[in-house]
Amino acid sequence: TLFLLREGGEDLPRSASMMSGTLESLSGIGEDGSSIGSDSEINGLAVRRTDKYGFLGGTQYSEGSDKDIRVDVARQREMKWLDMFNNWDKWVSRRFQKVKLRCRKGIPSSLRAKAWQLLSNSKELLDSNPGRFEELEREPGDPKWLDIIEKDLHRQFPFHEMFAARGGHGQQDLFRVLKAYTVYRPEEGYCQAQAPVAAVLLMHMPAEHAFWCLVQICETYLPGYYSAGLEAIQLDGEIFFSLLRRVCPMAYRHLKKFKIDPILYMTEWFMCVFSRTLPWASVLRVWDMFFCEGVKIVFRVGLVLLKQMLGSVEKLREVQGMYETMERLRNIPPESIREDLLVQEVVSLAVTEALIERECTIQVRKWRESRGELTHQPGRRLNGTRAIHEHKAVYTPPPPIHPPCSSMLLFSIGWLNGRCYLIQQVRGLVAEWTAPDHRAVYSFGFYVLILWVMFFLVVFIRH
Amino acid sequence: MAYAYLFKYIIIGDTGVGKSCLLLQFTDKRFQPVHDLTIGVEFGARMITIDGKQIKLQIWDTAGQESFRSITRSYYRGAAGALLVYDITRRDTFNHLTTWLEDARQHSNSNMVIMLIGNKSDLESRREVKKEEGEAFAREHGLIFMETSAKTASNVEEAFINTAKEIYEKIQEGVFDINNEANGIKIGPQHAATNSTLSGSQGGQQAGGGCC
Repeated sequence: TLFLLREGGEDLPRSASMMSGTLESLSGIGEDGSSIGSDSEINGLAVRRTDKYGFLGGTQYSEGSDKDIRVDVARQREMKWLDMFNNWDKWVSRRFQKVKLRCRKGIPSSLRAKAWQLLSNSKELLDSNPGRFEELEREPGDPKWLDIIEKDLHRQFPFHEMFAARGGHGQQDLFRVLKAYTVYRPEEGYCQAQAPVAAVLLMHMPAEHAFWCLVQICETYLPGYYSAGLEAIQLDGEIFFSLLRRVCPMAYRHLKKFKIDPILYMTEWFMCVFSRTLPWASVLRVWDMFFCEGVKIVFRVGLVLLKQMLGSVEKLREVQGMYETMERLRNIPPESIREDLLVQEVVSLAVTEALIERECTIQVRKWRESRGELTHQPGRRLNGTRAIHEHKAVYTPPPPIHPPCSSMLLFSIGWLNGRCYLIQQVRGLVAEWTAPDHRAVYSFGFYVLILWVMFFLVVFIRH
Repeated sequence: MAYAYLFKYIIIGDTGVGKSCLLLQFTDKRFQPVHDLTIGVEFGARMITIDGKQIKLQIWDTAGQESFRSITRSYYRGAAGALLVYDITRRDTFNHLTTWLEDARQHSNSNMVIMLIGNKSDLESRREVKKEEGEAFAREHGLIFMETSAKTASNVEEAFINTAKEIYEKIQEGVFDINNEANGIKIGPQHAATNSTLSGSQGGQQAGGGCC
């Protein structure tokens, strides 16, 4: 794709008045993607070749070494995903393992935006809140946040075609999304680490869609990450470090020896979901899995990176010191984290949701002992698509018939959570029955009634 | 490369005052208006010479937004010098200096040398903070002061090097305990070798890499 850079921004909508639309932010891009100094060196028209993800240069520019999937395979995958889209709820409730597997293989790029929105359930938020985004946009917003957001607009993926031009569409949309969030959650406001996350979303979908997706990430996937005090990220840093002790004791000992706190290297990784750390092809594959499986993927990717960088005696020999180690972790050579290699490592790592939860309990206790009560209590973190789906099923208003029975049934099924495929099937059916707009709620009551009748019959016959 | 001393610096100040640009100008001698926002921490390093001695500066560049404050605090540990930066075209970044200073004093070692920097001096027409105000603030709080421009490179070298000189003088005076790494100073292999023979008067020997 050839990308034409244009001087000025005359043809751009003027919704965001503070943007003047200049090419100032493009000045750092040379012929080879290197820096060429001052902005006067680009005048009028300049033609650049973007990589297939829209990057014009910078560290995340792909040199075309990513292998493309065969056309027929790609087509086949698209068909499978389209089929899932048509029966999304059923797929999530009944055949989630398959959905997960397909996310791990990588979502076809043509369908990625829709898949992310379905996986995160942001699609439903979007549909059930028509006009809400425009409403938020119309609000003036708190100048305290708007001021910082404006300063950050040209500092998000400045080498991506969408965000390169000052006041261009990308930067305008970024402003709209981030501002809307501060109006939507005034008590949370804006955290600088939200900007790259929103920018990645905007590379795939329109502003309104990106907004609801951002809401899901901030509130369901990573609650508390962007809140004042950043306690949630510090807590996850502790959890991460103790998981490392299990997964790669050598790296753990090394970091401990040089007193390198997790917060020093994992803040950007976790808060930006690796969008500024990995080669772009890997970023997308990680996000595909992240939307499906939740924060577990973030932990796993981080652990894999540490394993790759600090996992052997030879590797450690090169980084004898705090600074040397930090430098290595800040500049991870892309060849060691190519998408296929990375995904394979991430998938095979034995770090489960249960393990993370357990570690979380321990670390929360330690936190309380050493630093007192957590000042910020974020909402419950849901581990990806299935958890969100179940949460939705359980927390929608209960059906009018037999509430005690149905909740009892749900409880017992919850207790058996994930024991076998059959249980998953049953759970899927229950989730479907209890869906708010589903007629089956009435027949569900009916089935419960029949179950009870049969139970009494059996008891009666025995006697 | 062998060095006599290694000093750790930290750069702090409000978001958008030009911390990352100052660092890049000092380490790479270039100005790049296009760069990713700093989230967490960035690094840079450069060798300088003071009094004939090679000194390695290891610089930690931090995120400026208020919400990152709790994390930035953990970076203060073991810093020998701090560059506290404000933007001369934005009054509020100057007004926030007191809170930054409180934070720095509270979380660093008491001998840390702090250099106050009024950045963006090339934007004279948009100036909101007078040079005298910066000087007065520095005098009042016992800081060194300088106005810089990361864009034109004016005073950037001086800012980093003068801070190093101050630290170096404190070492000579025996204020810093150089054997305690928590002070942000490390003795290089070169110096350690010469120190034992010549009690550290003459630098410049190529005796690097002697011990492990």
